[in-house]
Amino acid sequence: MSTETAINIDREKGNFSYDTQYEYDAGIGLNEGVVNYIADVKSEPDWVRKFRLKALKVFWSKPMPTHWATKDLENIHFDKFRYYLSKGQQPSRSWDDVPADVKETFERLGIPEQERAFLAGVEAQFDSEAAYSNMKEELSKEGVIFVGSTEGLKEHPEIFRKYFGKVIPIGDNKFSALNSAVFSGGSFIYVPPGVKVKQPLQAYFRINAENFAQFERTLIIADEGAEVTYMEGCTAPKFETTTLHSAVVELVALKGAKIQYITVQNWSANVFNLVTKRGLAGEDSEIKWIDCNIGSRLTMKYPGVILKGRRARGEVISIALAGDGQHQDTGAKMIHAADETTSNIIAKSISVGQGRSTYRGQVYIPKHLKGCRNNTECDALLINSNSRTDTYPAITVRGNNNSVQHEASVSKVSAEQIFYLMQRGLSEGEAMSLTVNGFINDLVKQFPMEYSVELKRLIDLEMEGSVG
Amino acid sequence: MNALEIKNLHVTIDGQQILKDLSLTLPKGEVHAIMGPNGSGKSTLAKALVGHEDYIVDSGTATMDGKDIFDMEVNERSREGLFLAFQYPAEIPGVTIANFIRAALNARQPKGEDVDAVAYYKDLYSEMERLDIDRKFTSRSVNEGFSGGEKKRCEILQMSMLKPDYCILDETDSGLDIDALKIVADGVNHMRGKDRGILIITHYQRLLNYIVPDRVHIMWDGRIVKSGDKSLAFEVEERGYDWVKQEQTASV
Amino acid sequence: MQSMITVKSDSEFLSEAVFDHFLTRHSELPQWLVKLKQQNWVDYLALPAPSRKMETWRFANVKGLGVDTFRLAQPLAVEEGQSLIERSNRLKNTSGKLIFGNDDLLAEEELSEDLKAKGVIFEPLERAFAQHSEILEEFFMAQESALGSEKFAALHTALNRNGTLLFVPENVEIDLPLVSYHWAQGSESAVFPHTLVIAKDNSKVTFVDVYGAHEKDSSQLACGVSTLYAGPGAQVEYHYLQNWNEASLSFNQLTTIAQRDSNIRAFGLNIGSKHARNEGHTIIDGPGSNAELFSLTVAHKDQEIDQRTLQSHNAANARSNLLFKNALQDTSKTIFSGLIKVAEEAQQTDAYQTNRNLLLSPLAEANSLPGLEILANDVKCSHGAATGQIDDNELFYLLSRGISKPAAQILLVFAFFEEILEKMENEELAEFHRELIHQKLENN
Repeated sequence: MSTETAINIDREKGNFSYDTQYEYDAGIGLNEGVVNYIADVKSEPDWVRKFRLKALKVFWSKPMPTHWATKDLENIHFDKFRYYLSKGQQPSRSWDDVPADVKETFERLGIPEQERAFLAGVEAQFDSEAAYSNMKEELSKEGVIFVGSTEGLKEHPEIFRKYFGKVIPIGDNKFSALNSAVFSGGSFIYVPPGVKVKQPLQAYFRINAENFAQFERTLIIADEGAEVTYMEGCTAPKFETTTLHSAVVELVALKGAKIQYITVQNWSANVFNLVTKRGLAGEDSEIKWIDCNIGSRLTMKYPGVILKGRRARGEVISIALAGDGQHQDTGAKMIHAADETTSNIIAKSISVGQGRSTYRGQVYIPKHLKGCRNNTECDALLINSNSRTDTYPAITVRGNNNSVQHEASVSKVSAEQIFYLMQRGLSEGEAMSLTVNGFINDLVKQFPMEYSVELKRLIDLEMEGSVG
Repeated sequence: MNALEIKNLHVTIDGQQILKDLSLTLPKGEVHAIMGPNGSGKSTLAKALVGHEDYIVDSGTATMDGKDIFDMEVNERSREGLFLAFQYPAEIPGVTIANFIRAALNARQPKGEDVDAVAYYKDLYSEMERLDIDRKFTSRSVNEGFSGGEKKRCEILQMSMLKPDYCILDETDSGLDIDALKIVADGVNHMRGKDRGILIITHYQRLLNYIVPDRVHIMWDGRIVKSGDKSLAFEVEERGYDWVKQEQTASV
Repeated sequence: MQSMITVKSDSEFLSEAVFDHFLTRHSELPQWLVKLKQQNWVDYLALPAPSRKMETWRFANVKGLGVDTFRLAQPLAVEEGQSLIERSNRLKNTSGKLIFGNDDLLAEEELSEDLKAKGVIFEPLERAFAQHSEILEEFFMAQESALGSEKFAALHTALNRNGTLLFVPENVEIDLPLVSYHWAQGSESAVFPHTLVIAKDNSKVTFVDVYGAHEKDSSQLACGVSTLYAGPGAQVEYHYLQNWNEASLSFNQLTTIAQRDSNIRAFGLNIGSKHARNEGHTIIDGPGSNAELFSLTVAHKDQEIDQRTLQSHNAANARSNLLFKNALQDTSKTIFSGLIKVAEEAQQTDAYQTNRNLLLSPLAEANSLPGLEILANDVKCSHGAATGQIDDNELFYLLSRGISKPAAQILLVFAFFEEILEKMENEELAEFHRELIHQKLENN
């Protein structure tokens, strides 16, 4: 029943890199020259260059959010990163045309195999640019667009410009501004009215070069009544030096549309992963973020939904596993902006060793709205005596026609549970891993099978190491 | 010797000595019952044998077919064939019964090998049928939200799936109505055989109407004070534990 | 935001000149206190004013928090004082009573000879600073602000001159509550009430602070600090009934220190103030201690009731439970921001925090920020926050029995509050809370 061809989220499996020759390299450090270089290499229209330069100014002007977030952010040195690296190739439609070293990378990660097994389309990004991008033919015939962001903004400006930067404006936060200045790669997806894409579309993000910072930009639009599921995975080799991944993802679900966005984040422990993700949900539409964070040194990510249309639904399912030296600072935002909108947040975190998991949430129901509901549950499991968890929700409700409910709990695996399982013959590590898997079981069920099997395996590995 | 042999066992919990020089032999192929009033140390014996860390063995030995079990970890004892049906089984949220029993069976396989899934489910369903457990139970979390009777039946289900050499049933009858009691007893009787020793710990004689023991031991103040055949159970039921108490006091 | 301090040497607004004058007028104060006040005045000037960018002031309307338009409260006219003394009679069965008007002692009911003989001290600070200087030197303002109002604590320390010292020696149990009434009068008057309760080992005491205004409309500033020390095995119950007038700005910081095996119960009631900011810091310093923290708020019109709490668990095997309930009418606004912090060494902690809001109007706004920071793994911690409205079915049922809508609403608000009211064992005190709640709901 298990498919072993899953995306690899075993930390060690992604830990390799190829000495790759790059045609284009923006050099180390960040300045207007770098931004212009990116715009030049991509031959972008003038409006994009202006957008980028404006964003760079906003980025410089904004302080680091250390007044509420961790001081570890101060260890990010923007002048040490390389902001653009590519071989200058167009994304291939066939794996045969992908350069050998890049192709080998993705084969080791199992991407072509998965594409054959269960995906409707794949985009594989290697540092700044996609090396491969393809989608099943019948979807193109139905008018589905699945291309990189650069191709999207050049080839489909009429749709792209309408929504780009509208869900997450440049100045939303310091890192969204940075992404807006130097973005490259990521996906542009448009699903025409009524088209339901049955199999998931997948993007895979790979950092290959040391000191390389990745800034993909994704925009997904599901037109009226359309449905689409998008999955993203990622890995990077374990380098000595820290690096940065800072994406911006914007989703737009028009009337009656459904978008499901699944992330399994498994960056290596030298990556700062600071991502802004938000969806705009129209009337009767549904946006669901399934977000699983296992890797990285520090992740700060709070997927959100702006519930703009009547009866829109937003959901965030979040799993975080923080091991030694990791800080998973994750959560969700639900901004209600229309009557009878509903939102649901379920977040579960596990802290192992000195790992720290943090939940931050925002639920906002302004005045004059009626019939809005939010339900939030956050549960934290602490494995070792030096593990840490924090919960910081912020809930604002105006008006006597809306209701919210928030519950959070912190617990540990009890000695009696472990004893019971060991009396049935399991080792302490197996007992721990079974219990931890049980803790997140109801959420893991919502992942596609290929992901959930791998999730379980990774947790087994972590738990074996946590008991002693 | 093919038996669970307990000799001169002294056990302390929270600094208080509960078992005081307890000796007992359960040969393979037999069913023994331990009866005794509340606080006589029956559950302490069960917990100490399977190796709960709160139960400190001060002195004495316990061997299973000649192997010292006090040398083994909790899970080693289990894999060697010792099973406890808990009086109060722990709840494990999110872990389904099917996955749990399979994990326990896999723990008994050579490293890297797993039980065959198809055969496993076939076995599981047939045992569940015998114990009158609905198939839907396989996807429920272990003991979570179970009624008292469901918990006990789930313990017997595990026992019949793991096929241990020695089974200890700690107050398995408590909280069961007669129908449930019969089902549990049927399950236990089905497990009887020459390759298995079963130790039933109970406060009441009632269960022994359905599982007829080969030997009955009366426990009092941390040791076995009287042993006999099944008629001893009726005697206790009729005359109460005070009778044993009086006999004990008289003999001192 | 502009500086809060406008130095107008010719006026009596809170300024350098006013502070100097204050010290000159109170030359009787002990030297350690004068030094402390001088240092705090400097700190007060140096500390930044609240801004919404500060995490501790998130969601607060900081524009309304300027204190530079207030003056030190002036002594009351004799007849005003007399009328306030007459109004300080709600609790009949007490072991002692202090009545303050504009920070002057107006009247007192002394302790019984028996309690005095046992060593109980119940004194206004104006006398205690002289008579019990050694106790105050150790305990007065010994706890730092932890929740954002450092600036106001400094202002309080600099300009406070009265309040309550309650000292209960070891093994002394006082059955009837002791109470202090604090009244404010006059336009732009600033008062600085202070409470210091020290309950030594195995003692038992209930103390009540009642805050109110002489007149309805004049704007006042109340900047208070209360500190409760529960020694090993001590049982301390504290009531805080805030009923300043609705033109006033009030700050209150309550710090509670629970030592080994102590039991603390605190009940807060928020009725008055245009803008009230309460900070409650409960410090669990001893194993086996148990703190229960309750608060009831009725907010209406454009009131803003901003409550921030911190449950600091520094010792193992202790418990704390917080339940804050707010009922909101009109365009009122509440903020509840709570944090449970469990230190690494505080294993076997049970800590709970719940905020429930009942929105009674389409324009009321409830903000909840329930937080947890857990550094120990063997803990039971949870928080919950829920915001909702009156159940239509319940309301309909009451209406169908002929009860008017406003009366039905009052009944249902009381039903919402009952969970806390029923925890008050002293009937007279519970009745006092009910009465204030009822008056406010009736007058809306």
